[in-house]
Formats: sequence, C-alpha cells, structure tokens
Amino acid sequence: MKNILGVASSLAIMASMAIAEPSGTFRQAHEVGSGAASSLDPISKGRVFQVTEKIMSRLVRPDMEGRPSPDLAISWSANDDATVWTLKLRSGVTFHDGSTFGAEDVVYSLERVLDPEMDSPARSAIAMVSAVEATAADTIQLTLTSSFADLPLLLMDYRLRMIPEGSGDTIATTGIGTGPFMVESFDAEGTTKLVANENYFDGAPGVAAMEIIGITDGQARLQALLGGQIDMERGITAQQRVMLDGSDNFNIQVIPTGNWRGLIFRTDVAPFDDVRVRKALRMVADRQEMVDLVMGGGGVVACDSPVGPTDQYHAELECPQDIEGAKMLLAEAGFPDGIDIDLHVATLEPTWPVLAEVYQNQAAEAGIRINIIQVPSDGYWNEVWMQKDAVTTRWNERPADQALNEIYLSTAKWNESYYKDAAFDVILSQARSELDFEARRALYVQAQAHLLETAGTLIPYHVTRLVGTTSRVDNLDAVENNSVRWHLVTVD
Amino acid sequence: MLAMLLRRLGLGAITVWLVSIIIFVGVEMLPGDTCTAFLEREAQGKLLENCREDLGLNRSALVRYADWAGSAVRGDLGVSANGQKQISELVGYRLRNTLLLASGAMLVGIPLALFLGVVAALWRDKLVDIVVSTTAIFAMTIPEFVSATLLILVFSVWLGWVPGIVLTSADAPLIEFFPEVLLPIAVLTLVMTAHILRTVRSSVIETLASDYAQMATLKGVPYWQIVFRHILPNALLPTINVVALTIAWLLGGVVVIETVFNYPGLGRMMIDSISDRDLPVTQAIALIIASVYVVVNLAADILTMLANPRLRTVHMRKG
Repeated sequence: MKNILGVASSLAIMASMAIAEPSGTFRQAHEVGSGAASSLDPISKGRVFQVTEKIMSRLVRPDMEGRPSPDLAISWSANDDATVWTLKLRSGVTFHDGSTFGAEDVVYSLERVLDPEMDSPARSAIAMVSAVEATAADTIQLTLTSSFADLPLLLMDYRLRMIPEGSGDTIATTGIGTGPFMVESFDAEGTTKLVANENYFDGAPGVAAMEIIGITDGQARLQALLGGQIDMERGITAQQRVMLDGSDNFNIQVIPTGNWRGLIFRTDVAPFDDVRVRKALRMVADRQEMVDLVMGGGGVVACDSPVGPTDQYHAELECPQDIEGAKMLLAEAGFPDGIDIDLHVATLEPTWPVLAEVYQNQAAEAGIRINIIQVPSDGYWNEVWMQKDAVTTRWNERPADQALNEIYLSTAKWNESYYKDAAFDVILSQARSELDFEARRALYVQAQAHLLETAGTLIPYHVTRLVGTTSRVDNLDAVENNSVRWHLVTVD
Repeated sequence: MLAMLLRRLGLGAITVWLVSIIIFVGVEMLPGDTCTAFLEREAQGKLLENCREDLGLNRSALVRYADWAGSAVRGDLGVSANGQKQISELVGYRLRNTLLLASGAMLVGIPLALFLGVVAALWRDKLVDIVVSTTAIFAMTIPEFVSATLLILVFSVWLGWVPGIVLTSADAPLIEFFPEVLLPIAVLTLVMTAHILRTVRSSVIETLASDYAQMATLKGVPYWQIVFRHILPNALLPTINVVALTIAWLLGGVVVIETVFNYPGLGRMMIDSISDRDLPVTQAIALIIASVYVVVNLAADILTMLANPRLRTVHMRKG
C-alpha cells in the first residue's frame, strides 16, 4: 500500500512537472572575462557564453555522453569519402523575433564564421568547410576541403550558434536566436535578464526567468552563492568545497572534464630536442600525487593526452612514475649527472605554482633540478608562452580531433611545444578520413600513445569541475556547460 | 588669502598633470597592451595588427599622450579602448555609486568617531576608553577584506539579514542599491571611524594637559564648561585634516572593498580597466581621484585657517 501511494505520488509529481508553467528565477554568475567588450555575438571574442548557450541553438549538440545529437539539424549524412555532408534541418522553428528558421539562416551564420573579415576565433574550428549551400528549404550541404569523418563533432562547438539571416550588425546586443530563453536586457557587467521562450522546440523551459550576473571576483561569487544570492557557481575549488559539503542548503555536482593544466618543454630546443630527455621529464611525474596535492583530489590522471576522460576517443594508457627509467634515459642522452631546467610560472592560473613545485620535488629524485622562475601574469601569453623553453599551460576541453590537431599538428598555430612529427601528422589525417568508427577510434588511440612516447608536453591530469548549487535547483544536468539542457532546470 | 588660494590651485593643477604622466608611463611599462589583454592566446598575426590599428596603438606613446591630454584639457575624456563607449558616461555612474558609498560611511562614521574619540579621551584609561581604543586598534589593523568577509559570513550567510554581494547594475537608480550597500558601508565605517577616533582621542588628551586648560581648572571653571568652551574647539582643529584625507580616500573609490563586495564604483572600475589595459579609462579615473585629493585637501586647509585665528593672520600678513 505504501509503495502504491509512493508510486502514485511520484506519478502525480511527474505529471505536474510535465504540464507546469515555467516558474521561478534561476540566477548564476559569470566572471565578465571580456569586460566592456562583452557581446552577445556568439562568434565574437567577447561572447558571454553563459548567455549565448541559453538563447541560441547549434545545428548539432552533445548528448549526455558527449556524442553528437540533434539540435537544429535533425539528421546528417556524408558521401563516401566524407568530403560532402548533408544536414536535414528541423522544421517549424521560429526565432525569438517571430521569423521562421530556415536553411538561409544556417548559410548566413556559417558563412559569417568563415568570413576572414570577421576574424572570428571560431573560424579555425570549421576551417575545412569550403562551401555552405542550401539545397532545399530544410537541407544544408557542406563541402569540405578534405575528408572529415567527425564533422558533427565540430559542429557541436559552443560558438557555432545559428542567428537570423542578416542580423550580424545587431546580434551583439539583441541576441536573437532559437534557444529556450530570450534576452530581456543585456548588461554583461551588471545583470543580464532572460525570459522563458515558451515556443522552444524542445518544450517550454522549467523556469520563467534567468539572471546572469557579472561578478569578477571568485571569492565574491562564492559569497553570493553562500548567501543565496545566486543559485549556481560552476568554479568551486577543492578548498571551497568544504564550505558547501555537509550543508542541506547546497548541492555539489562532480563533473569530469577535458580541461587540463600542464608543463611544456619545447621540442625544438636543446636539451628537449632529444626525445629521450622529453620522455624522462614526463616519466618522473607521480600524477596521482599531483592530483592529490594540487587539486585536492579533484582530477583524473592523464598520460600526456589532451583528450578528456569522457571523450569517446580517450585512450586508456598507463604512465606510472619511473625514476630509474628516467635516470637511464637521461644518462643515455648524455646527462648522467642530471639536468638543470628553468621553468617559467605565472599565477595567471592559480594552480600553476603548486603544480610546478610538486613537479620540482618529484623530478629532483631523478637528478632533474627545476629552477622555478616567477613571471608576471600580465602578458604571459605573449611574452612567455611559446617564447621561453619550459613554461606552464592550460587548455579547456576540446573534442579529441580538435585538441590533437590544434596543439600538436606540425603546422598548427597553437603548437605550443613546437612538436613536429610526420608520423603523428599522418595518423591524424588518416583518422579524419576513416568513416568506420572503431577503426577511427583505433587511430586516435594510436595518436595519443604516440604522444606518450614522444611529446614535450606533460599533462598530469584532467580537471574535475565542481558545480555548487543551492538546494532549490533541480534537474540541472551534471555535465559540462556545453551539454547542459538549460530548459530542463527548475527551481522550487 | 586670494593669492594663496590661486597659488594652491595652480599647484593642484600641476599635481594632477604629473599624476596623469605617472599613470600613463606606468601603464605603458606593464607588459602587454589593450589588444593582448583582450585577445589573450589569439594575440598573434593579423588579428593583433588589426586590433592595434583600430585602437591607434601603433602610434608612438608620446603622440598618444599628447592626443589624450589635448582632449582632456577640453573636457573630452575620450572613448574607452575596448568598449568604444563615452568615458564620461561610464565614469559618471561609477562616480555616483562611489559617492553613495562614501557619503553613507561619512554620515555614520564622522559623528561616531568624534563622539567616541572625545568620550575615550575624557574617560581616559577607564573601561569605556579601553574598550573603544582596543576595538579601534582591531578595526584599523585587520585588513578590510578580512573584516568584509567576516561581516558577510555573519550578517549574510549565517543570519541572512542583508545581501552579501552587490548585484545591482552600475546604472541602476540609487534606491536599488539598498539594502545591498549596507554591508560595504559598515566595513568602511569601521575602518574610517577607527582612524579618526584615534586622532580625536590623542588631540583631546593633549589639549586637556595644556596650560590654559589647567589654568581654567585652577580658576575653578566647571569641568563641563572647560570641556565645551576650551577643550573641544581647540582639540578638533587638527582632526580636520585627518577627516579630509579620509574623505579623499573614500571618494577615490575604495578598491579592495569594492572588489570584495562586487560594488560597481570607481575603485573596481580602475582595477578592471588596468587589467583590460584600457588606458583612457584608467587615465580618466586617476585624474578624478587626483583632483579629489587636491580639492579636499585645499578645502581642509582653508577650513583650518578659518577656524584658527592665528593661522589666518599669519597667512594674511604673508598674502
């Protein structure tokens, strides 16, 4: 009897949820990373993604496992060599201003990304697209310069959002899209107000309004969460976690991500141009200890692969600390008495100095003497990164293909370790044109194993994200921003 | 008197001009510029060139300074480097918000400090003095960000009486800043009260020991008449300058407090503009703060002179 009542009441709750009107306001903060240059144009450098992700849709979005799933495109297929892709669009979708979404809007949005005049940072994500055509009112054809089997993965990029045809000059302030929320007022440094789009194609949102509030200081964001002024903060540190744990007023989501921090040893300068030295430098790392000491346990051990633990192409590799092996490799390379290295570290990323110090102690066991040089955070990306021989770096999650190509391909603009390996380049290009998933996966795994043997970049872990919410928040998907279905969120 | 005033104003103008040069050189010397700060990792090649060309950063530092100074003299503070908005408009709201914070702290803090300072001095070494003086020392020595965080923890997180962080937009009507502005005002009041109070206390104690006070006592003048007729007017004179400095400090935007509370005032805008390398905005704010210091100090000196016949006559003779 008790059970039946329980079932009945939970059914009643589910039914009431299904027909419930959007209600309540969900509030979150963002760090105003672009300051006064903040914009609602999804492809501009100043885009406030915490807003654009809620007001605009992509063609393809990630599902809860990170695989491509329909957004504004409902299906897609490629020709035999994956150079021409055809996407079928959702019908009956309207923009926030009432106009109908159609193929011409997709052509406009994508060509705008590809336009060299726009200088969009998103351009590199789909640089292989050479032509965008509307072949029917609801069909789009993308022609690529070379085979690309995982194009749908790239279309999931958080910036590739569809805007109405011809809206390029006004989109930065209007933010008109097809997403679950509509812009009521935009004020990046103050409070941006969004209201529910009841015509959202995936169902009306759970909350009636969202407020995205600019709070630059991390400590202030935590205070705002603790005081109940915001409902969600996505950058809780391991140290801050204790303040939320054990309180009934807050919940914590633990989300593994593909974000990583690491050390770079430039592969084009001595002594790091010797692959044995590079390998030794990475073998001395006790990665689990780094996770524990630097991240307070909030990370997943990585074996120098930039591909995140939840990515379908993630390689399961082994990389235990090996001091004796490192010593032997160094001796073979002509450094029997160890080696001296100047490592440049800034506080731009607060965990870098800690990571450098832990590494310094671990490396010392193999006779590697790390001299930590503190450099200013200002101008770090210009004057230190890709300039000095040994530096720190950080990257946010990218799909496997993008991460490997953007950071390690011989010709990549952001090849921060100056890694040039013809064999590696070949594996990547084979993977791109391989249409069979298992075979493609084997190639990406091979590429990651190749990096573990030869790379100059030490990637000790992928960061685990801690998302703190107030207990009034329900149905928030426990995944990265990129995949969250914001229209499902409800508040009590 | 008039000549003195003109001379002081002239010196003030030179001070403001020197400050603008120091700020300009300082920001120039920091690594990176508006474009590298904005583009971060993408600050390479054509993207960087285009950005620098758009903002006129390719011109030499001297040309840019002359250009800026020329417009500033005519009252045109220019446009912000990366938002392309009129600075006078941006700074206007921030200045107003800082004024709200400062006047709140002054209205509560100055009377409170004078009262407590006098009380502590008159009952020197008694319990009330010990409590007031010890509290003042704590309020002065605990860094603002610590006391701010403690107050947020107690009044916002634990008790839930007032919001901890200011979420109101910079250009919202003043009334919307209540009750969010109360905690920042409380922290500022705490710090400034302590500073002024200690000056008042020692000044009153010094005056109590003066010859004329003792003479009055010997002549049998009632205690309270001595205090109100002879002690207080003389003792409060030196505090005018301390109060002036505190007001200037408040009006200059209290950087740490504004950052901790996310308060959209001048101080936080200064910090943000420096990290954006938004030189025009940084310059404009520095100019405002320098002017405030010059004017408030001048006002304090004039006030002191008016209140003190001896100083007045000395200057009159000189002038």
